[in-house]
Amino acid sequence: MKRATRRDILKYGASAGLAAGLAGLPAISRASETLKVGAVYVSPVSDIGWTKQHSLGVEAIKAEFGENVEITVIDNIFRPQDAERVFRELAGSGNDLIFGTSFSHGTPMQKVAPRFPETVFEHCSGIKHLKNLGTFEAKYFEGTYVAGVAAGHVSKSAKIGFIGGFPIPDIVGPANALLRGAQSVNPDITCNVIFLNSWFDPGKEKEAAKTLIAQGCDVICSMTDTATGVQVAGESGAWSVGYASDMAAFGHGKHLTAFTLNWAPVYVQAAKDVANGTWNSTERWLGLADDVVQMSPYNADLPAEAIEAAENARAEIASGGLHPFAGELRDQGGAMRVEAGQVLPVAGIRGINWFVEGMIGRLG
Amino acid sequence: MDLFISMFAATIIAATPLIFAALGELVVEKSGVLNLGIEGMMLVGAAFGVWAHFAGLPMIVALAAAVLAGAAASLLFGVLALTFMTNQYAAGLALAIFGTGVSAFIGRGFGSTPVDAIQPIHLPGLSDIPVIGAMFFQYDPLVYFSFVMFGAVSWFLYRTKAGLALRAIGESPDSAHAIGFEVIKIRYLAVMFGGAMAGLGGAYLSLVYTPLWVENMTAGRGWIALALVVFAAWRPKRVILGAWLFGGMTILQLQGQAIGLKVPSELLSALPYLATIAVLVLISRNRQAMALDFPVSLAQPFRPKG
Repeated sequence: MKRATRRDILKYGASAGLAAGLAGLPAISRASETLKVGAVYVSPVSDIGWTKQHSLGVEAIKAEFGENVEITVIDNIFRPQDAERVFRELAGSGNDLIFGTSFSHGTPMQKVAPRFPETVFEHCSGIKHLKNLGTFEAKYFEGTYVAGVAAGHVSKSAKIGFIGGFPIPDIVGPANALLRGAQSVNPDITCNVIFLNSWFDPGKEKEAAKTLIAQGCDVICSMTDTATGVQVAGESGAWSVGYASDMAAFGHGKHLTAFTLNWAPVYVQAAKDVANGTWNSTERWLGLADDVVQMSPYNADLPAEAIEAAENARAEIASGGLHPFAGELRDQGGAMRVEAGQVLPVAGIRGINWFVEGMIGRLG
Repeated sequence: MDLFISMFAATIIAATPLIFAALGELVVEKSGVLNLGIEGMMLVGAAFGVWAHFAGLPMIVALAAAVLAGAAASLLFGVLALTFMTNQYAAGLALAIFGTGVSAFIGRGFGSTPVDAIQPIHLPGLSDIPVIGAMFFQYDPLVYFSFVMFGAVSWFLYRTKAGLALRAIGESPDSAHAIGFEVIKIRYLAVMFGGAMAGLGGAYLSLVYTPLWVENMTAGRGWIALALVVFAAWRPKRVILGAWLFGGMTILQLQGQAIGLKVPSELLSALPYLATIAVLVLISRNRQAMALDFPVSLAQPFRPKG
C-alpha cells in the first residue's frame, strides 16, 4: 500500500480542482474518448453462479465498445468496509461508470457516490438510488413461476422442495412463485422450504436436499450459489431447478430448467448511456420481458405438454397477461392477501415476508 | 423408521470430514502444538484432490494428492512455529487464510464440472440385511477408513511407546528432551500428520460428500474440527461422539425446517452450536477429569536448554 505523501496530496488536490473545473463542460465531450468502466464482484469469477453472470455483462460491454473501453475488475469484495475503499479508488482513478454487484455494496456506494458527482454508479440488488447512483434488480420470481409450471407437470408426489440461502424477500418471493406456478397445474401441490442461512455451504445444502427428498419432495429448487442442490437431487432421482447459470451438467439428466440471469442488456445500456451523456439515475426491476431473467433449455425428457405450458407461462408473464402474484392469493395461514382481479403491488413483492398457502416452513 | 435410518446414515457421513480433521488435530495438540490452520489445510486438500481428479488420475491417487497437499501446507506452519518459534496462534491463522487463497487459485476452472464421486461400496450379505445393512454397511470406503483411523490414533496414543513419547512431549517438552527425545522432530511429524488428515477431510468433501469444487467449500468445518478437539477434552473417543452430535443436530434442524416446525430458521440453524455448547458445559463440570488429558505445553514454543 502506497503511503500518501505531501506531493501526492498536492497532485491529487490539483487534479480534483481541475476535475471540478471541467465538470461544467458538456458531457458530449466524452463520446470521443475511451470509456472507463469499473466493476466490483463479491466473489472471484467462478465457472457458474452469480458473479459469473455479472462478468458476462462486463464482457458484453467489451464486445460492444471494443477498443473504446477500458475495464477494471476487482473481485472478491464482499464486506462493506473493504468495498468502500475499492469504490473510492475506482472513482478516483477516473472511471466513468462503476458497477457494484451485491446488496452488501449498497452502503459503501451510497457513501462514495455523492463525492464523485461526475461518476456514474450502478448497483445491482440495490434499494436506494441517488442522483448518480442507479439500481437494477431481476424479477427472480418470474423465473421460478415458469419453472414451477414445469415442476407441476412432473411432480408425482405433489410435493416440491425449495432451498434458500437466507429468508429475505428476494428468496421468499421466488419460493412463493415456484409454488404458485406448480399450483397452476395442480392446486394440491405443497412446497417444503429449508433456509441454510448461508450462500456457500455445499455440505449443508446436500443435507437439506436429502432431507427434502426424504420428506417426499420430487422436485428440488435451490437458490444458493452452488450446484449442490441440483446434483443431489439428480443422484437421488429427483428433478431439479437451477439458479443463475444453467446447471444441467450437474443434474444427472434430471435438470428441468434453470432460471438464469442475463445482465448483459443492463450493462451495455448503462455504458451506452454514459458514453452518450444521456444516462439518468433510474430504478430498474427487470424480468422475463427484458431478457434479464431467462429460462435455460428445458430437459429433453420433459413431456411436450409440460414444456408447452411452461413456455406459455413465460410468454404470458413477459407480455403482462399473467402475474405470478395475482389474486386471489392467500397466505400460509389462509388469510386473504390479494383479492381476485388484483395483483400484489411492487412494494408488496419487494418486501414480501410471508409464505403463500401451501408452503410448509416457517418465516421469522 | 425409514426417516430415522436415513437421518442416522446422513449423520455418520456428515461427521466423517470432521472426524478426519479433528483426529489429526488431536495428535498435533497432544504433542503440545496448536495449529489453527485446519480450515486452510482442508481447503488445500479439497482443491488438490479435485485437481488430481480432473488431471485424469485414479481416485486413490487423487486422495493421496490431497493428503500430501495437506501435509505440505502444514509444513509451512511447522517451519514458522517449530523452527522459527513464532507465535503458534498467528502462524496457524496465517495458514488458514493462506490455504483459503491457495485453494481458490488451484480450483480455478473446476467449478463448472461435477466430480465422479467415490461411490458407497456394497458388501455382499452385510449391506442387504434389513435396517442394520442400511444403517451400518452402505457407506463409501472413506467412512470405514475414518473408523480405522480412530482405532489407529487411539492405539498409537495410548498403546505404543511412540505415542507415550508424543504425549510426554506435549506434557513437558523439557523433560522429554532431557531423556533424549527429539522434541522438534516429533512435533514436525505430528504437525504433518494433522495436515495429512485435514487434507483427507477436505478431499472427502470435494470428492465424496459434495462431489464438486466450490470456493471455500469447507464452510467453517475446519474451525468446528478445532472446537471438537477441545470439546472432546483431548480424547479420541469423544472426538467421534462430538462429531456425531454436531452432525446429527445439523440434520435434525434441517428436518425440523422441512416439516414446518414453528421455530424461525435462524434459531434452528444455531441449534448444532447450542447443543454442542450445552454438552460441553455438562461434561466440563468435573475440572480434574478435564485437566487430565490437556497437553500442558500446548501452544508454547520449545527452546531446547543447553
